[in-house]
Amino acid sequence: MTLTETKMSNKIGFFVRNQSIVVPIVAIFVAFFLGGILIFLQGVNPLVAYRAIFSEAWFDSDGLLRTFQKTTPLVLAGLAVTVGLRIGLFNIGAQGQLISAALASALAGIYITNLPPILHVLVALFCGVIVGALWAAIAGVLKAYRGVHEVISTIMLNSIAIGILDYLVSNPFKEPDQALQRTKKIAETAILPNIGFIPFGFILALIICLLVSVMLNRTTAGFRFNTVGKNKFAATYAGINMKLMIVTGMLLSGGLAGLGGAIETLGITYRFEPAFNAGLGFDGITIALLARANPLATIPAAILVGTLRAGGASLQFETGIEPEIVDVLLAITLLLVSAPILAKFLFKGKAQKSANVTSGWGN
Amino acid sequence: MKRMRTLAGISILALVLAACSSGSSDTAAEETAAALDDSNCAAAENFCVGLVTDIGKVDDKSFNQSAHEGAMAAAAEVGGFYKYIETTDTKDYAANMAQFTDKSYDVIVTVGFLMAEATVTAAKANPNTKFIGVDQFQGEEVANVTGLIFPEDQAGFGAGYLAGLMTKTNKIGSVLGLEIAPVQLFAKGFEAGAKKSNPNVSVTTVYHPPADNAFADPVWGAAEAKKQLAQGADIIFGAGGGTGNGALIEIAKAEGAGTSIFCIGVDTDQWFTVPEAQPCLITSAVKGLTEGTTDLVKKAFDGSIAGGNFVGSAGISDYHDFASVVPMDVQDKVAAEVAGLKDGSIKTGVTL
Repeated sequence: MTLTETKMSNKIGFFVRNQSIVVPIVAIFVAFFLGGILIFLQGVNPLVAYRAIFSEAWFDSDGLLRTFQKTTPLVLAGLAVTVGLRIGLFNIGAQGQLISAALASALAGIYITNLPPILHVLVALFCGVIVGALWAAIAGVLKAYRGVHEVISTIMLNSIAIGILDYLVSNPFKEPDQALQRTKKIAETAILPNIGFIPFGFILALIICLLVSVMLNRTTAGFRFNTVGKNKFAATYAGINMKLMIVTGMLLSGGLAGLGGAIETLGITYRFEPAFNAGLGFDGITIALLARANPLATIPAAILVGTLRAGGASLQFETGIEPEIVDVLLAITLLLVSAPILAKFLFKGKAQKSANVTSGWGN
Repeated sequence: MKRMRTLAGISILALVLAACSSGSSDTAAEETAAALDDSNCAAAENFCVGLVTDIGKVDDKSFNQSAHEGAMAAAAEVGGFYKYIETTDTKDYAANMAQFTDKSYDVIVTVGFLMAEATVTAAKANPNTKFIGVDQFQGEEVANVTGLIFPEDQAGFGAGYLAGLMTKTNKIGSVLGLEIAPVQLFAKGFEAGAKKSNPNVSVTTVYHPPADNAFADPVWGAAEAKKQLAQGADIIFGAGGGTGNGALIEIAKAEGAGTSIFCIGVDTDQWFTVPEAQPCLITSAVKGLTEGTTDLVKKAFDGSIAGGNFVGSAGISDYHDFASVVPMDVQDKVAAEVAGLKDGSIKTGVTL
């Protein structure tokens, strides 16, 4: 083997070793390429279309603020799903946890008065986290003590949460003299401010993301999480209390989703209305899978989704392309990342099994 | 070689996908090509009209589509430029309106009750732009906001009066969108009309629970329609965008549709907008959305528009193929009732 050949194979080796990063990036490019063809066939230059999205989402201070605002709950919802995946639980209930928390923090923001500003925000955030965590813990307890599969219970809890919230917001907590089913506005003291074009909640989400990453990769608790996620039988044999781990895993997962909902209420909407938080929890699943259950990778994944969503309207305004093209881009990306087609195409036999982010499927 | 084939496969797939999607986009391209551009809306001679939909599309065959067609027609008539944005997230109302105000558009049409608050906020921040709020009742007058409202109770009353005369089981129902003023007026008018023509009738009323898809949930609408049919209702009023359409289409598939079971559409003459419902669609409770929007945009053009509320028209549409099914004496009675509502001699008695 000549020297250059060795160098070449080293280079390829670098890509093979880091394919969990390479595959999503290539997937995004492929998605933008295919999306570009779709846009071109509608008579619009794809470059102009993509420029419309990005110039609005990144190079306009209002647009940038909105990008960050949309990214924030996505980071946290993505983290919630990620934490679940790491412990082998597929939490599809991030949506239910997020919306219950959004209402809880709104109520704390409305009905707790006489608190100084910073403390009031903290209390309201805390209420959201607790409610989100407890809502998820129902599924955790059911799984730990009754063996109910979390995919079933969390998705059912989503519907239950929607029903309960509809009732609460149409009856006891409905804003008086208002046709829409929604709560009153939260007190000024409970508002989570923006620092220029950066929402405070976004900074909070980044810090939490870092903490979760450290927790999962550098602490005993994280080691237990990963062990349970990789092989629950080995974990049981090693003396890890499975029941406790499942419940704490769901508590943490729900708390993260809840924080996303609470920040949404306190930082953007200032009240609870059922239509406000549509789909955020489900986007969390997209993001966790895109990030391959790596907590730090949820940040770029969430920024991607946030950017596309923030730029969608501008895309339609500038080019007439319907904003749903954004969902097509995301769908193609996710398909390529989660189905092993792309990895196999790029790396042949050296491809990792991409679906092994969790051992939780089907048990 | 293998890679080449894969690549070729992907490109073919993309082409097929594109071919499927290009059907609906042609219209959008034409619309933007109709006028020149919006690079200088601030100039007095350029008249620019923008429209922001509620969560929904301009081809929803109902509410957004009617307003869209009205605004587009008005802009074309006065030689203006027209463009629209379809909202995908309720939190983006303000940002979507800002796209238009940033370019100094002259008129912005915002569609739907849900946008009422955001519209007033944007209007106060942009006093030189005229805002037309379709279905947005203005409690207090803002000089540059005109709410286009309709006597929905009259349209519902006419439809209900007909239903009361046509029902054989004395059970009728309505499958509705979100419980907000315009929908409530339709529903209560429907009930009042039915009770007037047939005191023995019982009316089942069901609203979609609050959610962002309250007007775009055909599956829910279909399920509720099925439930009401099973409970013996023979005439059902579907009122709530895509949700109501789901109910209509479900009823059209039911046994006896068009002979013993009928449905009633809403907002526009749904004989044309939801042809799948034709087997059962006896009439539609319509409001003059398109005409109302056109009128107001033209008033904005000639400067005669005023803040506050502008009341459009409402009634029931043609019977189409059911003209032979609905007995003549019933048609006469309904026509007399609708005329009475219009001239004010008959009151619906509906209050919210």
